[in-house]
Amino acid sequence: MDRLKHRDSGSKTALPKPIVAAKRRRQLYPFFFSMGPVALSICSVLLIGLMAVLYLTQVGQAVTANQQIQNYHDEQAVLQRQNQDLAAIIAQEQSPNYIAAKAHAMGLVPEDPKAVKVIVVKHLEQMLNSVQNNQNIQP
Amino acid sequence: MSVELRRARRRQMLIFMLVFAVMVLLLGRLYYWQVVRASGLAQRASQEHVQSLVLNAPRGIIYDAQGHILATNVVRDDVYIEPIQFSIDFPGSYQSDLTTLVQSLHSVLPNVSESALYKDFGLNLQTLRIAIGITEQQSQRLQSMQLPDIFLEPRVWRTYPGGSLAAQVLGYVSPDNNQGYYGIEGQYNALLAGKAGSFTSETDLYGNPLVVGSSAEQQPVSGASLTLTINSTIEYMVQQGLVNTIKQLGAQGGSVVVLNARTGAVVAMAGAPTFDPNQYSTYANQTGCLGSENVYFNPVLYCAYEPGSTMKAVTMSAALDQGLITPNTSFYDPGYISFGDAPTVYNWADEAYGTETMTQVLEHSANVGAAHVAHDILGPTRYYPYLAKYGFGQPTGIADGPEAPGFYRTPDSSGWTMSDLTRQAFGQSIEASQLQVAMVYQTIANGGVMMHPYLVASIDNNGKVSTTHPQIERRVVSAKAAHDLTGMLELVAEKGLGQPAQVPGYTIAVKTGTATTQGLSSDQTEASVAGFIPASNPQFVILVKIDRPQATIYGGGAAGPLWQAIAQQLMWYYHVPPDAVS
Repeated sequence: MDRLKHRDSGSKTALPKPIVAAKRRRQLYPFFFSMGPVALSICSVLLIGLMAVLYLTQVGQAVTANQQIQNYHDEQAVLQRQNQDLAAIIAQEQSPNYIAAKAHAMGLVPEDPKAVKVIVVKHLEQMLNSVQNNQNIQP
Repeated sequence: MSVELRRARRRQMLIFMLVFAVMVLLLGRLYYWQVVRASGLAQRASQEHVQSLVLNAPRGIIYDAQGHILATNVVRDDVYIEPIQFSIDFPGSYQSDLTTLVQSLHSVLPNVSESALYKDFGLNLQTLRIAIGITEQQSQRLQSMQLPDIFLEPRVWRTYPGGSLAAQVLGYVSPDNNQGYYGIEGQYNALLAGKAGSFTSETDLYGNPLVVGSSAEQQPVSGASLTLTINSTIEYMVQQGLVNTIKQLGAQGGSVVVLNARTGAVVAMAGAPTFDPNQYSTYANQTGCLGSENVYFNPVLYCAYEPGSTMKAVTMSAALDQGLITPNTSFYDPGYISFGDAPTVYNWADEAYGTETMTQVLEHSANVGAAHVAHDILGPTRYYPYLAKYGFGQPTGIADGPEAPGFYRTPDSSGWTMSDLTRQAFGQSIEASQLQVAMVYQTIANGGVMMHPYLVASIDNNGKVSTTHPQIERRVVSAKAAHDLTGMLELVAEKGLGQPAQVPGYTIAVKTGTATTQGLSSDQTEASVAGFIPASNPQFVILVKIDRPQATIYGGGAAGPLWQAIAQQLMWYYHVPPDAVS
């Protein structure tokens, strides 16, 4: 170092710059530790690789979740379809023509109106909730 | 600098320039693809990966008054084949694989013949539909078989669990465009259809939407559900009775309407012939309304006819309301009546009744008496306002869509003569729909107040429920006039031509009608009975019309028994106690 100083006594003020410049070439700011270019390249590649792996993992999980959601949607569609079918079956079996057909198949016959006798009971007191109040009559 | 060094430097510069030129070229190309063509390429990429789906809105359900489903939706699959793809997938063993496939398909779809399938696979088409609306069992079998180059496409179908029950009231829905036609389906189509939504998103390889990608969704709005005033049990009973009566009488058709006497709600409305909305297309060539309309039309609303003697109640009510007659006002009926300004009017079969009261005019259904009241007592100025008040010549407003308004000439019409007045008095020279005539009897039953008829009890539009409340249309006649006329009509049932309609244990008020059509022989009638029950406290109005009965042509004989059967069932079903204490 002294020899360097002696040899180039004419450029005493310029002497620190090459050293600083050389040092800066070997260091990287703002990292708090020094790292050479080879090490830096390797670390960068590793870091980028790690981030990529992380990203791909997330995407993979999202895709799996997406597939699960799709499966649930499919299941929901199937269940809705079954529900509609069951409602239609119930409606069909509640319909008067179905009931009449079943009754006929069981051997039941419609009543004969002529067989109905009207019995007159005189002085019959009306009940409180009489049908005269139109309880069974639709609006 | 030495020559070699200079040369080296020159070579270095050349290589540098070449590399630089290539870099510039590459940068330029990059600019072209990334900037100049960016939007076009991005759009093409979106088309590949972004899918826009239409989310169909579920169609609203139609219920009857008791909450039973009259119309609902089910999903059924259509079956498609891919002929071209099949020939690509099985180039070597095409014939044997095709035979296997055809046999498998035919075993599941027996309605599709093997020869038709061979022909279909021979067509040069990407896809071809071979079956529509297959059953659930067939769908499951096809899915489990996993046949190559076959796929199922689900489609929503409208189904009517009651079959032909209230078919002409409901109408039908076409599965091709999910549009409703005729009846409630047609009239309330916009409300029932709802509003389709959309879902736009990026998709994966299989076309499934990605949750990670961008998406936009517009939720569909479900169609509104409707609850009708129709009672399924009464409707079924009415339809069955009508079909049986038509068959027994050898008639061409018929129709029935049952109304709530106090509110104007339609309890049942049926016509024959009718159709099954589940297979509506098979009825395309069938007609109703005596061949004048296709069978999809509701005859109660759309088929105008000459009401015949059921109109005599209108004539009498007009005179009673104005105090011009009483039920006991009498006149002499020699079987005919001559007018100076109108043709002579005769009773049916030229029957002469001698001195008769107005009540007896109705009991006998005497045309002479009715013409006398209209021409000699009322006159045009006091008669026609009542036709307008009863709603003749204008739609009832039960349907927002088309409805037969009916027609009659008034003194203001071109070609009107007094002959129109005398004939309109007993229901000829006037056309009215069955509902219009039924509303006359509803008015009388309701003490002279006409209600607005309605078919839809409530609408549930995604939680917002709107209920139809009975609405007074107008007062047509006074309560006294209605009461007097009711008494007269009771005697029609007790002693007159309405006797076939009598219901044991109940008082009824009815009028029969036997209308002939001009140009046709007098045995081609439209026989009807209109009235209400119980007369003492009216609950239901019933109008039965039989078209061109052959076994008996008269209103009482043809329509009376069916009227009686319907009335009796109504009394039993609604537990209305008998009121005829004798």
